[in-house]
Parts: sequence; C-alpha cells; structure tokens
Amino acid sequence: MSIIQISGLKKQYSGNYVLKGINLTIDAGQIVGYIGPNGAGKSTTIKILTGILSDFEGEVTVLGMDVNKNPIEIKQLIGYIPEQAALYEVLSPMEYLQFVGKLYQLEEKIITTKANELLKLFDLADKTTVRMNGFSKGMKQKVLLISGLMHNPEIIFLDEPLSGLDANAVILVKEILSQLKNAGKTIFYSSHIMDVVEKISDRIIIIDKGTVIADGSFESLQQQASLGSLENIFTSLTGGSEQHQHTAQQFIDVLKS
Amino acid sequence: MDNWLLKILLSLVKLFAKRDIDFEKLQIITQTKIIMDRRRVRVSYKQQKNKEQKNPLLITLLVYAFFGLIMGFMIAFTKPFLLSMIFFHSYLLFMMAMTLITDFSTVLLDTADNQIILPRPVNSKTIFVARLVHILVYLLQFTIALALFPLIAIFIWGGISAGIAAFFTILLTVALAVFLTYLLYVMILRFSNEQKVKDIIGYFQIFMTLLFTVGFQLLPRMINFEEIMRTFTLHWYSYFLPPVWMALAIESLQEFNLDMLHLSMIACAVLVPLFTFWVMIKYLAPSFSRKLALLQNDQVSLKTREKKQVVKKTLSSLFSTLLCNSASEKAGYEMVWKMTGRDKGFKLQFYPSFGYIIVFVFIIVFKSSSNFNATLQSLPGSNLFLWLIYLPIFSVSTSKTILPYYENFQASWVYQSTPVKYPGQLISGSLKALLTKFFLPIYLLLFAFAWYIWGNNIIDDFIFGFFNNLIIFFLLEILSVHHLPFSQQQNIKEQSGRFVKVFVQLISIAALVGLHYLALKINWLVSGLVIVAAFIGYYLIQKIKSLRWKDMTI
Repeated sequence: MSIIQISGLKKQYSGNYVLKGINLTIDAGQIVGYIGPNGAGKSTTIKILTGILSDFEGEVTVLGMDVNKNPIEIKQLIGYIPEQAALYEVLSPMEYLQFVGKLYQLEEKIITTKANELLKLFDLADKTTVRMNGFSKGMKQKVLLISGLMHNPEIIFLDEPLSGLDANAVILVKEILSQLKNAGKTIFYSSHIMDVVEKISDRIIIIDKGTVIADGSFESLQQQASLGSLENIFTSLTGGSEQHQHTAQQFIDVLKS
Repeated sequence: MDNWLLKILLSLVKLFAKRDIDFEKLQIITQTKIIMDRRRVRVSYKQQKNKEQKNPLLITLLVYAFFGLIMGFMIAFTKPFLLSMIFFHSYLLFMMAMTLITDFSTVLLDTADNQIILPRPVNSKTIFVARLVHILVYLLQFTIALALFPLIAIFIWGGISAGIAAFFTILLTVALAVFLTYLLYVMILRFSNEQKVKDIIGYFQIFMTLLFTVGFQLLPRMINFEEIMRTFTLHWYSYFLPPVWMALAIESLQEFNLDMLHLSMIACAVLVPLFTFWVMIKYLAPSFSRKLALLQNDQVSLKTREKKQVVKKTLSSLFSTLLCNSASEKAGYEMVWKMTGRDKGFKLQFYPSFGYIIVFVFIIVFKSSSNFNATLQSLPGSNLFLWLIYLPIFSVSTSKTILPYYENFQASWVYQSTPVKYPGQLISGSLKALLTKFFLPIYLLLFAFAWYIWGNNIIDDFIFGFFNNLIIFFLLEILSVHHLPFSQQQNIKEQSGRFVKVFVQLISIAALVGLHYLALKINWLVSGLVIVAAFIGYYLIQKIKSLRWKDMTI
C-alpha cells in the first residue's frame, strides 16, 4: 500500500523552478533515502510533504489524504525533524518538548515522563532544565529528534538527520531508525552525501536540479552505476572522480608556488 | 504583568472565538512566546554582564516606567498644557517605534516559527491569532510602562475629560508607531537582504544605547525648557505632526473647544492612525511576510556578492604599512581595525563611551548653557584646553578593556597554532590600531576646536599632550593583564582588577596633567618636554612589543 504519492510536483520561487515534475510512490514500512547535491530540491520536497509549503503545482497525498486539503490531520500523524537545529534556544529541552508535545495534543504528564526518559537515553538527563543556547549542534539535534518522534508518528521525515551528531549518536540514531522501520513506520530522510545510512535504506532516490535521476535499492543502483549510466551522479555525490583529482593537483601546485 | 494581560486577551478570544481556533494550542503557543520574550536579552542594557538574567524584560519595563514617572512630573510642571501634551506624545511615539525596531524586530523577523510550528498540527487561523495576541501583549505592556504615570498626571492636572481623551490618543499613537515600524521594515526588505536588515537594526540599537547613556545627559542641557515655554507657538508646519494632532485633540475635549481647527485635528488624530493601520493589514503585512518567506528560501541569491573582487588598498593596510614594522604587528593592526568596525558586541559597548567625550566637553567647557556666548568669550584666557587634551583618552582607553572580549572567542586558536614568537607585537599592533582609529580623529578634531579659540600657542601643548596620551595608553597596557584581541569569553569574574586599573589610570593622568600644567608657566619648557615624552612613549611601545608568551594570560 502506498503511503506517499507524488505526481507532477513542481515548485517555483519567483519564476525559478526548483522542482520540475517529480513523480514518486512510496510504500509503507520502508526507509527511503532522498539524496542529491546541495540545492537539488530535497528540503523543498520534504517541506511540501510535511505541509509547510502549500503553494505548488501537482498532486501530493500522504496517508491517503491531500496535503492541501487535510494538512492538520496529516501533521498529527507524521513527524518532522528539520535541518540546522531550528528550535527555540532560550527554552530548556523540557520546556521545548512540553511546547511541541502540547501542539500534538499530548497530555502534560505523558510528555514529562516521555521527555525525561528519552532525554536520559540520549545522555541529556542532567540538562533537561538548562536553556539550550549553550548546547552543541549535536545536543540540539537530539532534542529535535525527540520533539519529532514523541507523538509516535506513522511517517518520519528527516532533513539531514545526522549532521552534527558524534559517532556514537550516529550509530544510535541509525539503530533507532531501523527499529522504527521494524515497528512498521515509514522513514523518509534527505542527505547530500551517500553516507553510511545508505546501508539501512531500502530505497534510494537521487534527485538533481529538481528531477529524479535515479531510483532503486542500493544494490541495483550500484549495478546501474557500473554499467555507466549512473556514473556521473555517483561520482558527483561520492567524490573521487578524475575532475576532483585534477582540482586537487592544481591545489597542491598553488601551495608550492 | 504580561501574564495577566495574556489571560485577559485569551479570555476575550475565548468569548468571541470562532470555531476554527484551537484554544488550547493558542494558549500554549502564546505562553511559550511570552516566556521567550522575557528571556530575550535586551540590547540597551547589556552593560551588566551576568549572563542569564531571570527576567530582562521586567528590568526594561521598570526603566520605562521610571521614564514615565519623570514624564508625569514634566506634565505637571510644564505650561501650557498643550506643550506638555505635544512633548508626551512625541516621546511616546519615538520610544514605542524605537522599542519595536530594536527589540521586537528579532521576533518579527524570526523565521524559526516556520520550521517549528508549521510542521505541527495547528491550523493557520490559530497561528495567526497566536501571533496577534503575542504582539498585543507586547505592545500593551510597553504602553502601560511608558504611559501609565503620564496618564495619571494628565487626569490630575488636565482634568477627567482630558484624561479620557489621552487614553485614546495614547492607543492611537501606539498604532501609528506600529505602522511606522512596519513601513521601515518593508522599505529595508525591499532594497536589501536579511543580513542588511540585521545590520540596520544593529545601528538602531547602537543609536538607542547612545541615546540612553549620552542623550539623557546632553538633551536637558541643550534644550532650554524655560525659553521654549515662554515663546511657545504653533507654526503652520506643526499641524502636520501626529503628536500635535493628539495634543490638540486632548485640548479640544478638555476645553470643549470645537472650532474648525480642533475638529480637523481630532479627525486627523483618529482617522490617520486608523487608515494607516488598515493599509498595514491590507498591504504591508502580507507583502512583509511574503518577502520574509522569500528571504528564507532564497538563500542562494543572498550569498552571492558582487563579482568585482578586486583587492584594493584599504585604509587599514595603508596605515599598517606606515606604522608597523613587522608582519605580526601588521596582522594585529589590520585585524583589530577591521573587527572593531564589524563586531556588534564591540560597537555596542564602545560607542556609547565614545559619546561621553562629547558630553564631558560640553559639561566642562560650557558649564551652563544659559550664557553660551559669554563662556565662549572667556575661553581664550583660561587653561581649559588641557581638558580637551586629556579627556579623549578616558573614553578611548575603554576600547582597550573591551577589546579582548568576543562572542566567538574560540577563534583565537590561530594565535597559538601559528609560529608567533612575540605576541607583544600583536598587542602593539592592536594598540596602534585603536589609537589611529578612535583616538587620533577625535584628538585632531579637538585640536582644531582649540586652535580656533586659543590660537597658535597651544600647538606645542597638543604635541606634548599627544605623546603623554600615548604614554598613558601604553602604560595601561603594561600595567594590566595581557590578553590578545578577541580571545576571551565575557564573564563576571574579570571585573576584579578593574579598580586598581582605574586607580593607576587616574594617578598617571593626574601626574602628567599636573606636569603639563606646571610646564605651562615656563614658555620653552613644553616644547622641550616633547622630546622626553616622545622618548618615553617609544620606550614603552618597545617594551610591549617584546612581550613573550609567558607574559600573556590566555
């Protein structure tokens, strides 16, 4: 059963199309990696799917509901974890989670117990009532993860979920994501690099300049790449091409001069 | 106060709420916003450095209430009543607009809400009402702080009808202030990007800080209230000014004077704010939020600067080649020159104390403003120019005390990671930068002023004084703990050595000024001492240059 359906999705900012006709169908219970270089349109797609952006062309349904017709119902059932640690820094993690939890209509008591336990699991137990202005990016990212998952959503959207986390936290988050998948949740995350998370993804979608250029499991993408058709994309995303070698050589030459 | 204002507004919303508004979510959003308002650090009163103040907002409100109290007394003692009303409404309009621009702008221009609240299940009407309630709470508490005491004063000295009228004109003035702020934002956003907007707001903040510290000392001395009260008349152009409408509207109701002039003024007082408010809601606000949304998504176009990246000789590199003789010193010089012009923290702390030079000059040279011309004529016979020579260093030396502190102080790792043998050269470079950037211009300006009044025979005094100032400045560095520029975290503990430093500063200045004063009695002595002073100055800077890492406190 398809849980997300996108057909003919276009989005423009003052005449510039950042999405040029995206068609996707995503099944429930999968981890989907949405990958592309910076400025490819990843964040824009996620913002449309989560109902943050509402003026676009095309049709988008999430959980069988139209994003523009039932945004509130959809938002209640999905979780969104934004990039670049956007949260209210003058609040403490507990205050912030209370705030977000109440917007999801959770009860205060439940939020308190859940937040305490989850913060403890993320090693933030001693910082529950400290204001977040002094937090590192990784610590804020942890609070954001909790705030987007606390209401136990069906679909989880993550925008660059691992940026700023330390190695242990990365492993923990990856484990959390695959266990969420085992529990039947759908996970849709974006990233600009083919990082380690590729191994937990069931499906990888690569977009560039607003169009989908590759779609499939990691293995099938690798096969296609070795045949040549996807080589350019892969190298542009993973690095290590001749072009890069050349640039590196020039770099060294300038240092010597 | 904000809490019960919120309660009142929320119960009003509850009374008239339409079905679309989710009341519980409205409540939690507005409550959170108000907590955040309380915690936002106010720029104008950043002087006290304790980091996590419990409620900076309350302090601001109390200060405003205190101003209000003064304004209340002013209303009581100013005649005619109309004049005091014009004063009061101008003051209210100005303070409200300034507060909105400098303080509330961070809230209005914040795009974090889009990321934090929009993905949650809250409908847009609730978000809109929450924003409205939040802004109203903010406006109302500042209105109360600013206008409560003046309003009481109007009731007592203007009568009940004037008081009731003033109640409405206060609200109308606030509405006008909101409109003016919005207009400013839309105009800035139209012509520039988000960074520019923040810069411009930064300048407003510096201006506000200057006004709070310097303006309140200076304005009463410059404006002759008695003179104004005696000769007060309304010129034709004053009828275009909103505070005049408001004041005349109050007067008209106070005296039941309903002639053509007063009626038209009432019309202006009521209709213009309402009309501008309508324009704001209909046109400005939507265009404003559209622009803001664009700013957020249009990051690519923001970051590209104009292509012409030709390296041109800047003023700082020109001076550094002239004044510095080693690469480290040059590095220190140019870095300090550029950073002091760009770091908002430094500018906010230093410029107000810079402004004090003007205040002191006024206070000392023109002790009273009433006989301005008489003072000017008696000046050439006096030795007051000594003050002009030695005043600037008081303010400029604070720049040296502020210099080590920087928000992003970790960046100072470059000092240690690079092979700097004599960190003292970085310090001597930074001292030279501070002297040429802040001390020299004001010193030359004061010299020009002194030369105009006292003539040629003070030239040698200013040369001697120049070297003495250098000695004081360098001596301060030698006697204090050595920090590299922009390398320290701002904290409270640092204050301890302050007293000793100020004491040494005073003693050395007193000794040098005393010497200078005594030297005035013998004609040739000042010129002779110039050489001695120059030599001492040279010796001191050499000493600073040779400071090593073990002399530094990191």
